[in-house]
Amino acid sequence: MKKPDAIILGAGIVGAACALQLTNAGLRVLVIDRGAIASGTTGSGEGNILVSDKEPGAELTLAMRSRDAWFELSDDIGGGFELEAKGGLVVARTSEDIQELRALASRQKIAGVEAEEADGEGLRQLEPYLSEEISFGVHYSGDAQCQPMLATAQILRVVRERGGSVLPETNVTGISMKDGAVTGVVTSSGAYSSEIVVNAGGTWAGEIAALAGSFMPIAPRKGFILVTAPLPQLIRHKVYDADYVANVASDDVSIQSSAVVEGTRSGTILIGASRERVGFASNFDVSVLRLLAAQAIALFPVLKNVPLMRAYYGFRPYAPDHLPVIGEDPVVRGLWHAAGHEGAGIGLAPATAELVRAQITGSKSFMDAELFSPARFYFDGQPRMDLIS
Amino acid sequence: MITIIGGGPAGIAAALAAARGGERVRIIEGTPRLGGQYWRHLPEEDEERWVGQEKLHDDFQEGYQLRLEVLRHPNIEILFNTHVWHAEIANDQITLNIVRDSNSSQLSTEALILATGAYDRSLPFPGWDIPGVMTAGAAQSLLKGSYVHAGRRVVVAGTGPFLMPVASGLLNDGVAVVGLFEANRISRWIPFTYVVLANFSKVLLARKYMRDFSVHKVKFKRGHAVVRANAGPDGVLRSVTVAKVDRKFKVKMATEREILCDALAISWGFTPDMSIAHNLGIEQHLDVNDGSVVVVVDECQQTSVNQVFAAGEVTGIGGSELAMTEGEIAGMTSARTLGAAWSVEEEEHFKGLVKKRAAQRRFARALSQVYGVQANWMEWLTPETLICRCEEVSIADIQNAVHNLGATNIRSTKLFTRVGMGLCQGRTCSRSVIEILSKESGVNAEVEDHLSAAKRQIVHPISLGMIANSSSVEDSHHNH
Ligand SMILES: Cc1cc2nc3c(=O)[nH]c(=O)nc-3n(C[C@H](O)[C@H](O)[C@H](O)COP(=O)(O)OP(=O)(O)OC[C@H]3O[C@@H](n4cnc5c(N)ncnc54)[C@H](O)[C@@H]3O)c2cc1C
Ligand SMILES: Cc1cc2nc3c(=O)[nH]c(=O)nc-3n(C[C@H](O)[C@H](O)[C@H](O)COP(=O)(O)OP(=O)(O)OC[C@H]3O[C@@H](n4cnc5c(N)ncnc54)[C@H](O)[C@@H]3O)c2cc1C
Repeated sequence: MKKPDAIILGAGIVGAACALQLTNAGLRVLVIDRGAIASGTTGSGEGNILVSDKEPGAELTLAMRSRDAWFELSDDIGGGFELEAKGGLVVARTSEDIQELRALASRQKIAGVEAEEADGEGLRQLEPYLSEEISFGVHYSGDAQCQPMLATAQILRVVRERGGSVLPETNVTGISMKDGAVTGVVTSSGAYSSEIVVNAGGTWAGEIAALAGSFMPIAPRKGFILVTAPLPQLIRHKVYDADYVANVASDDVSIQSSAVVEGTRSGTILIGASRERVGFASNFDVSVLRLLAAQAIALFPVLKNVPLMRAYYGFRPYAPDHLPVIGEDPVVRGLWHAAGHEGAGIGLAPATAELVRAQITGSKSFMDAELFSPARFYFDGQPRMDLIS
Repeated sequence: MITIIGGGPAGIAAALAAARGGERVRIIEGTPRLGGQYWRHLPEEDEERWVGQEKLHDDFQEGYQLRLEVLRHPNIEILFNTHVWHAEIANDQITLNIVRDSNSSQLSTEALILATGAYDRSLPFPGWDIPGVMTAGAAQSLLKGSYVHAGRRVVVAGTGPFLMPVASGLLNDGVAVVGLFEANRISRWIPFTYVVLANFSKVLLARKYMRDFSVHKVKFKRGHAVVRANAGPDGVLRSVTVAKVDRKFKVKMATEREILCDALAISWGFTPDMSIAHNLGIEQHLDVNDGSVVVVVDECQQTSVNQVFAAGEVTGIGGSELAMTEGEIAGMTSARTLGAAWSVEEEEHFKGLVKKRAAQRRFARALSQVYGVQANWMEWLTPETLICRCEEVSIADIQNAVHNLGATNIRSTKLFTRVGMGLCQGRTCSRSVIEILSKESGVNAEVEDHLSAAKRQIVHPISLGMIANSSSVEDSHHNH
């Protein structure tokens, strides 16, 4: 194999998107993953591409660009991953929640998000099966959906066609360095050299940073998804309760859940997603299922008689401040991070890759990514150990 | 309290043995009757309609007696129509999530015996999704369980000794069996002659079936397989195409012929149901004889998890007699771990059971090796042949996933194609998918692939409403 210009660690959605951007910038890339393509968190995520669940700020700017970038990416590679501009519907019940949702929507509108209030008849027109008890919602036409595993595989197929390589089932066990700069990686099947290494290791990105002697406090946040038997279309948008937004940003350790309900092209309905900080606990907790099922039925009473077909869980990669980590390592030159996207890595992948490309090639990007920099985990040149929970 | 999941031959034998040891026993059985796949009869409450059942069953009397013994035993409680939909274990505490009469609740138990049996193994082939094509097990349960005939002109095909009782049952009930095809050859028995001699009762049983076939002028053809099913203008089965196949199941040139029929009962052996074993994190391995995933048990039928035992087809396909021996051992030893003392006679009896089990396992092993599914069945497929019927995934889709999308194992193939993700959760197709993947990628599947394909968190479909309203073990303690 000819020496790659850049090595990308991780064949999840973020690694794949970075590989495509760098390939399109003319670099020869090598993508390495210890498992199969999309075998990490991407393989257990839902495919929501959301602008609705973010407060105005750096992450929303990233999300808005990413949403459009998904459609451009699809044109670039010829689709094939069920990308759909289906729109989201956020609903609220109590007058307090309604007020908060209204306020959030108007702040988002100022930031450029399309958000339209709906009540009564309007709500029913958007979602005929929505619970009678719900009287207010906001329709976000910008929210979209894709099939993330297929997206990852299709992107990597195009990367290979354009000269890149993908090496699955290969464990990265070391990062080689000289004078504080990356020179390559050591793997279970030999060493590969390159002056550019992109860490797209998702929930395990902290371990990869540690291989280079750097510090990045990424931890797992477990989430369950329920999948129903296939049905004729009952639910048209991605629908969730407004308290989901509060949940996402919460620091509470115990379980939080607020059902997010949506139909897929195969007819199944996905109900996600709980959020628990229990490390990489592999137990299958029936009480979480109970909570999610009850919340989904509260949104759509018809779901009561729908059979649950399967359920699975994954581990979202999260940083203490719940922001993604994008940028060059503060202590190791040539090591670039693109990780820690928590419950939004699918949605945020293409814009993340654009930032990575701009930073590596030294070109201008669509936003100032200072807030995402891994330098935030250091103070005075020292790792901030206080950030480890 | 010992809980047994499954009221088939293994579960029945386990219940009686454990109750004999003085334990309280609870059987959880998904259907409305005892007997499992072997003693299939009408539901318990329909006993008046049972006339004529004997002629459909080989050991009907034995089954009937055992059934009465279990039903009447004061220490055995049976929950019929009750499914375990998920099992959990935490801090050595076993919790079973069950669903019954549209209600979900939890049960805890001191010891558990898994006797959940097996289901038919299917192989995909062109036309296998045409109405009228069914598994031999389905044809038989229609007959035994509801007196319904699969068709008027039935072809029975596939491999294994199970073809014989199915064909004979149909013939004895007046159905025309217009073809009986065993894909493997009788010469495969040669290395196992000693096993055959040691199990002469089986030979006699086979001879009885052969007599049935000759009385009804049915030719039992070995080295033949149904390689295609053909639909008529109405979309239902009109005929099957049969061909001579070689030892590897490759079709021999110019041997194809068409047989008109309205039903095809086809069997390619059985697949043990590993769902609950997987829920509980019980060690499983690949059965070298037939390539299925089975529970690992020790001499006492104890699994890798404390207080959990397994018996019957879940430990390896071996037939009802082996299932009963294993069940009895599991029943005895589970009662002993809960404190029952064994008398000298019981110690002796146990030793006898262990010997009997060894002989029965030898015979089972011979059967699986003689009646294996040989690799070239994949050549019968055309690019459009569906592999996963639930999600309509064809062999061409799987090839695309491997060759263009970079799928390297069963999980990535699933994620890229949805194969095995539908209603049956891969029960029907995942073994075939693994074989296809190995062939396409040129890399043999790893044990991990087999295990991951057998994994199903939700063992039995349950509605969201039932889950939302389900009561937990704690709730039921509060109620009492
Ligand atoms: C239940 C659930 C629902 C979700 N729903 C959504 C949603 O609707 N929308 C959304 O945008 N996001 C969602 N997410 C989050 C999303 O799935 C993640 O943010 C995203 O998949 C992260 O992608 P990634 O490429 O960074 O990580 P991964 O997909 O985890 O990729 C990292 C890869 O790195 C590899 N790796 C790690 N260490 C090594 C090593 N040492 N050597 C070699 N390879 C290594 C791993 O094998 C892995 O494949 C959800 C997550 C969960 C759990
Ligand atoms: C379709 C079929 C037909 C067969 N016909 C014959 C034949 O004619 N002659 C012959 O010699 N052998 C036959 N066999 C083989 C024979 O039936 C088995 O060897 C024998 O029944 C094995 O006994 P077992 O107790 O291990 O399992 P089974 O008999 O399969 O019993 C398992 C029981 O567990 C119950 N169960 C499973 N999962 C759950 C759950 N989650 N919750 C509650 N209950 C559950 C099932 O309803 C079933 O009653 C057949 C097998 C199959 C699959």
